[in-house]
Amino acid sequence: MMFFLEKRDLPELLRRAGAFFEIIAPVLINGEPQLVSWRGEDLALSAPNPLLPPTRLFLPPRETLFTYLQESGLYTFEVPEVRNRLIFGLRPCDLRALSLLDRIMLAEPFDELYSKRRRSTAIIALNCTEPDESCFCAQMGAGPEAHEGFDLLLTDLGERYLLETGSPAGIMLARASEELLERGDDVEKRKLMRESRDRIMSARPWLSPERMRSRLREIDWRSLSEECISCGGCSFVCPTCHCFTIADLGLPDGERIRCADSCILSGFHRMASGANPKARAEERLSSWYMEKLEHMPVRTGLLGCVGCGRCDRVCFSGLHRTDIFR
Amino acid sequence: MQVMALDAIETTCVYCGCGCGLYLHVENNKIIAVTPSLKPPARGRLCAKGWLLHGFANHPDRLREPLMRRGDRHVQTSWSEALSFIARSFDEIKRDSGPDALAVLTSAKATNEENYLLMKLCRAALGTNNIDNVARLCHAPTLFALGSSLGSGSMTNPIASLLHSDVIMIIGSNTTEQHPAVALHIMEARRNGARIVAVDPRRTKMAKIADLHLQLRPGTDIALLNAILSIVIREGMIDEEFIRSRTEGFVDILDHIAEYTPEVAERICGVPAGLIHDAAVMYGGAEAAAIVYAMGITQHAHGTDNVQAIVNLALATGNLGRDGSGIYPLRGHQNVQGACDMGALPDYYTGYQKISEFREKFEGAWDVELPASQGMTAVEIMSSAGSEIRGMYISGENPALSYPDSSRIRKSLESLDLLVVSEIFPTETTRMADVVLPIASFAEKYGTVTSTERKVQLIRKAIDPPGNALPEWVVAARLLEIFGISSGYDTSADVMREIAALTPSYGGISHERLERGGIHWPCPTQEHHGTPVLYRDGFPRGRAVFRHVDQRGMEDERFTLIIGRSQYHFHTGSMTRRVCILEREVPEAFVDMNPRDAAALGIRNGTGLILESESGTIRARARLSDDVREGMLFMPFHFRESPANMLTEWQLDRFSKIPALKMVSVSIRREDA
Repeated sequence: MMFFLEKRDLPELLRRAGAFFEIIAPVLINGEPQLVSWRGEDLALSAPNPLLPPTRLFLPPRETLFTYLQESGLYTFEVPEVRNRLIFGLRPCDLRALSLLDRIMLAEPFDELYSKRRRSTAIIALNCTEPDESCFCAQMGAGPEAHEGFDLLLTDLGERYLLETGSPAGIMLARASEELLERGDDVEKRKLMRESRDRIMSARPWLSPERMRSRLREIDWRSLSEECISCGGCSFVCPTCHCFTIADLGLPDGERIRCADSCILSGFHRMASGANPKARAEERLSSWYMEKLEHMPVRTGLLGCVGCGRCDRVCFSGLHRTDIFR
Repeated sequence: MQVMALDAIETTCVYCGCGCGLYLHVENNKIIAVTPSLKPPARGRLCAKGWLLHGFANHPDRLREPLMRRGDRHVQTSWSEALSFIARSFDEIKRDSGPDALAVLTSAKATNEENYLLMKLCRAALGTNNIDNVARLCHAPTLFALGSSLGSGSMTNPIASLLHSDVIMIIGSNTTEQHPAVALHIMEARRNGARIVAVDPRRTKMAKIADLHLQLRPGTDIALLNAILSIVIREGMIDEEFIRSRTEGFVDILDHIAEYTPEVAERICGVPAGLIHDAAVMYGGAEAAAIVYAMGITQHAHGTDNVQAIVNLALATGNLGRDGSGIYPLRGHQNVQGACDMGALPDYYTGYQKISEFREKFEGAWDVELPASQGMTAVEIMSSAGSEIRGMYISGENPALSYPDSSRIRKSLESLDLLVVSEIFPTETTRMADVVLPIASFAEKYGTVTSTERKVQLIRKAIDPPGNALPEWVVAARLLEIFGISSGYDTSADVMREIAALTPSYGGISHERLERGGIHWPCPTQEHHGTPVLYRDGFPRGRAVFRHVDQRGMEDERFTLIIGRSQYHFHTGSMTRRVCILEREVPEAFVDMNPRDAAALGIRNGTGLILESESGTIRARARLSDDVREGMLFMPFHFRESPANMLTEWQLDRFSKIPALKMVSVSIRREDA
């Protein structure tokens, strides 16, 4: 179903959704967009996509899997509760990344905590009518328009929004704000999305997954990684990265935590014997791209790069630029 | 609901002195993620330690309650009992042995407000100037040499100034690994055409991408820098106008400098004369040249002379007071600059106001009589512990691992009548304490810290401290009250107001202003915008001074061990070794060794080694690497299992009293031999 929503009514729609969900939305904090619990602040919808990918709300970089308490030799365990959430303003690229994570985390062996969070979270996605310079979602087939995976989808038509429902939950959310909505159509949206897509494509007309794959074996990874400091930043902001490590902290009481890990770090690959098949930065870097462009598609049917450009935005040595595939 | 909410709080990183901004993403009173701030200096970047900063604040090992020694155990107690015990015990020592039997070591991880209040506690309540901080172990020579020659003992230009440099000389700094945000600017400058000269006994990451790498013998920096200066003079590349109008003492050093020909330097440093010549021409020929240095320069028994050799070179070429030029001493701790600025030094009050000149001002402000005699420096305090010094308050420091000759330090600390240690985690030093105070970490309090580029920035509270832990400014304020000095601080912003009122260089700084971004001191008034580049219009002392320094004789040692840090750990590891991924990256100490040396001794990668110096013996595994020269070894000092500082000695620089922590001669043998 399609509706028009006046821009001034968006906060009211969110407030009503707030009766069922904790609302997470991008807000400017000290001038920079961050995903936080929304308490009625101005929404940062024209700012660049926050650096923390929203996929990390389902698989936090540090999370407690359970706490353990020892008493007279017996252990009791406590599992953290998961709350109903609504993420507002998720971009199509991140939505695609979430679909990819679903195919990994919800396949056997099924990840319980991820699944719980996933099932208790509603999503209002936002199409990108004003893409950032660093965006190449269109080339990766992940944006600038979302087609599935959302409960509601907004498109900024200038004066008002187009609101589209994508799930039964989305229809319910729309019903809760029925009188704010007016029946709508996607004529204008289609024009805007075409323009946005053209803008992204024309910034890098040569870029495509095929091009990237064929360049993988030609790139001089050694000289490219000369300045790489192996900070792991690219993997910590990548919305499709999901590797983790687990540690028990504290004896006799404590917690089992799960921590985002990074294949950019050398120790990630080191074996028990001490031997390391990827001891050099260039090997880790090329295998990171290999994973995104070749292995993930084989495993999930989806490309591991969604063109969000975050890796480039945080790279110390400026090596994660799309130019390397030119 | 409020407690569970997802929030993002902008703050400043706790590790090195770069002062990178970052956001802590918080949920349910736990840090769940970290992302970089887009503001300078790092502009959206972090190092691995920064990305993994969510790893230690919520660790169950955190100290949660005050502890007091009962026999050989620590038992939990209340704050009021712990603090009144401390006050009583300090009073007793003071009555029996005088105030100078007490000493305070403040923390470079604590805020400016906390350092200030501990400084006030030490001087106004305990009545002694025996106060110092870890700067004594890192940049005391910088403070002395830059202070006496130029007027201010700190970085002359902001980090971003490096983007305007044509040539950047990096000496004794593993910048990429230890000051990544500075390296970021150097690499960016390099991409835009700047040329890089790396001077380092090790082939560091920076040395690998440098245009020139001068791989000198450890400890021979003065010979090298003097030779560079002599070539610059001979080739007519000096800035005569600058020397004439803004400096003094140049003619006095000319004759001495002429003795340091490239050939002489080659013999001393082991660097080919031609390469020295190339470096000199590169530096001397630049429009704007910068010198970046760190512990490789300062941590020597001739550390002050090393820094002076750098000053001489920069002065002779007029490389001060302009964008892209300058001298960049890189500070190793989040707030080691601030600890010094706050007067946690035996001879200065805040803002480097000498106790000999400004005592009356502070007596008036605090309404108390202050001690007149200069206090002892950190290493002197340690060496008098158990004799002249009987009671000590150590804030957030782990001298049992970080000070030279650790076994001697442990004995000193054990022989104190009262040792108070405030910390966030149990350490080798808290183990020896009579009272342990649990302190709020950087993520659990408000305050300000001053980065290596003299930039005062806010840290903001993101989560609650564990258990009954308190911000240290609250602890210091309570102690002041017990000692009868009314404080009346409700927030750390109140403390900053007092600092600003007493400190000209911080005069215009307030928490309200810092909400809008950091400010480079000096910032004398509310209207002043701060001073990123020093000495644009002259030197505060009138003319900058040349002072000739000579290379000391070097003994020919079989092995010289260089001690430093790893990129994945910080200092004595009390924080980073509790971050599982960082601990996985570098789980134990290593000794980098040249493969040719290793072959001669039958050592392979991973062979257990025994290292022995005059001070002690430790064990660590060998790691073969071409990055060190023959006859040279390198190891980090983070690991209590292989405490590198068991090997170092109490050799002090005569000006700044810094101990020679950087290198020590050792003998090695295979563990199984």
